[in-house]
Amino acid sequence: MWEQVGQALRLSMTKMLSQLASLLPGIVALLTALVISVMIAWALSAILRRSLARFDFDRRVAHWGFPALAEWSPASSPTLLVTRAIAWIIVFMGFLIGISAFDGALPSQFVVRLFAYLPDLMTAIVVFVAGSIIARFLARSVLIGAVNMNLQYARLLSVGVKWLVTVLAVTIALERLGIGGGIIRLAFGILFGGIVLALALAVGLGSKELVSRSLDRETNKTPSAGMKEPVGHL
Amino acid sequence: MELDAIPQPELEQIDRIGGADLVIGIIGSERPEQNDSAAGMVREVLAELSKPLRAMVVCNNGTHSPAAVPEVPEDSQSPAVFFCSLPPPAPGETPQHGISNAYRTIFTVGGKLAVRACCVIASRPENATPGWIHRLVQPVLDLGFDLVAPCYTRQKMEGLLNRSVLAPLHGALYGQRLQNPMGPDFGLSGKLLQRILAQYSARRRGPERSLLASIAPAAAFNGFQVCESQLGVRHQSPTDWDNLSSLLSEILGAAFFEMEARAAHWQSIRGSQTLPRFGQPEVPSPENATPVDVHGMLQSFRLGAQNLQDVWGLILPPTSLLELRRLSRLTDDQFRFPDQLWVRIIYDFALGYRLQTISRDHLLRSITPLYLGWIASYALEMQTAGLAEVDSRSELLSKAYEDNKSYLVSRWRWPDRFNP
Repeated sequence: MWEQVGQALRLSMTKMLSQLASLLPGIVALLTALVISVMIAWALSAILRRSLARFDFDRRVAHWGFPALAEWSPASSPTLLVTRAIAWIIVFMGFLIGISAFDGALPSQFVVRLFAYLPDLMTAIVVFVAGSIIARFLARSVLIGAVNMNLQYARLLSVGVKWLVTVLAVTIALERLGIGGGIIRLAFGILFGGIVLALALAVGLGSKELVSRSLDRETNKTPSAGMKEPVGHL
Repeated sequence: MELDAIPQPELEQIDRIGGADLVIGIIGSERPEQNDSAAGMVREVLAELSKPLRAMVVCNNGTHSPAAVPEVPEDSQSPAVFFCSLPPPAPGETPQHGISNAYRTIFTVGGKLAVRACCVIASRPENATPGWIHRLVQPVLDLGFDLVAPCYTRQKMEGLLNRSVLAPLHGALYGQRLQNPMGPDFGLSGKLLQRILAQYSARRRGPERSLLASIAPAAAFNGFQVCESQLGVRHQSPTDWDNLSSLLSEILGAAFFEMEARAAHWQSIRGSQTLPRFGQPEVPSPENATPVDVHGMLQSFRLGAQNLQDVWGLILPPTSLLELRRLSRLTDDQFRFPDQLWVRIIYDFALGYRLQTISRDHLLRSITPLYLGWIASYALEMQTAGLAEVDSRSELLSKAYEDNKSYLVSRWRWPDRFNP
């Protein structure tokens, strides 16, 4: 009987060791992929950091209308943020490649599904970035235009426009990612409608006189009531 | 260049004429009967000149009047007045853009006819008198000048964009003091006209530049002889306050564009010289004694200072922003815009335009509250001033532009390193 127990133990040990041995190439492949990806990430981020520093990226980002990016960045440097983000993406890609080297159905399925999700993720990122740029541009246009029209609530209008476009961009991005589903649509409707209603109330109540003056001016074709000083510019 | 803007019959007529001594453009004449009066005026002017001349009159009212077109004489030396009509400006065109396009076509006609002189009256058509044409043409034909810039009789609250930016900026950059560097009424020699046409042909692929803004800098840049002529009172349309930011954007954009294109030239110029001025200045009619109400302008300035700090912060250095914040807290009576601050703001905006720190349209439109602040300060300062005081005030501002030119040059060369 003891002989049978010993044999069973030997068999299970052999089985376990052979299974462990069958995993070893996968582990080695994962480690190799990780080491290579870390090296590539390090080299690429060093090259990118130098190029962006030469391009004066930190200052340009602020000028393009994204001063807040510096606040989110490590050491207040958007260059560092970009280079680190790219380095981590490369390491993550290396990890995925390493995982797929395991001869198992689960890791392979995970990697395949993750890669299938990547186009949607990229689209969502592009939509979000483009939405942010457009929001900032429109907000600045509205702010300058409203100040030049002497509207006291210029900033409120500008912030309203910025949030309208941002909410729209975030909703499209989330829908693309398949997050939230119906709740997102409902929340978007409520938020968008709320912002429009708030703006309409603020502008409508605040500019009753301005609108009536403007209509009056259009009807009678008289010069602006705001300023009509006898001043010549040219 | 712009020959496609000229109707076919007029083009054929230009070809038949072959050559002329003088081309006279009258922009903005709307009625067809003005064509005949323009031709009559030119005959009157030609009779006063020392030599008999062949002249071409170009109007942009789109009315071809064959009665005004005489037969082309056999002898190409005999005096005659021909007439050419251009299509009126397109409906959506801004006044400045329309003037610039008409200028281009008139110059092209002049270039094709190889004229010796060209005169363009772009102010309202009632300004086009034989006296004005004679004063713009005579220094070119009889005295050998290449550019005759206009000098108008102005009230103290007229020509404020010229007083505050265009004239002193032109003086500081190009070293020539002109009352109206952007005209819009000019007399030019054939040589200068050909040079400007060549410059346009060379830059055809680049961004479109305003011809009106490039005439005086082109003359200064290429060493042409420049003078001014007293034209008297200029009738203008009432100020369109609703579109002030568009006007500023168009005019300052053109001036800054020219500045960027000629940076290598103006950086080496120091000081400025007064140019010969012909004719007697007219005495302006007595002004309305009611002072200008600056409250609305100051309100606009304060609103800008309160809301546009983020935008101005991308263009102006911190010291200027601090000064503006201090100014916005002053009461109406105390409000004075220091010359040095104003000049540096203009220079910083020109630099921002060059560096494209933000969208150029945003940059140019965001200057409106600052300009209104300057007008308010000027109006308060000049409330009781006579014309002599107004002139000396303009002199002081011109000096401030010249004194601060080193600031502009330093920032232009090292925008990042030199940031006070």
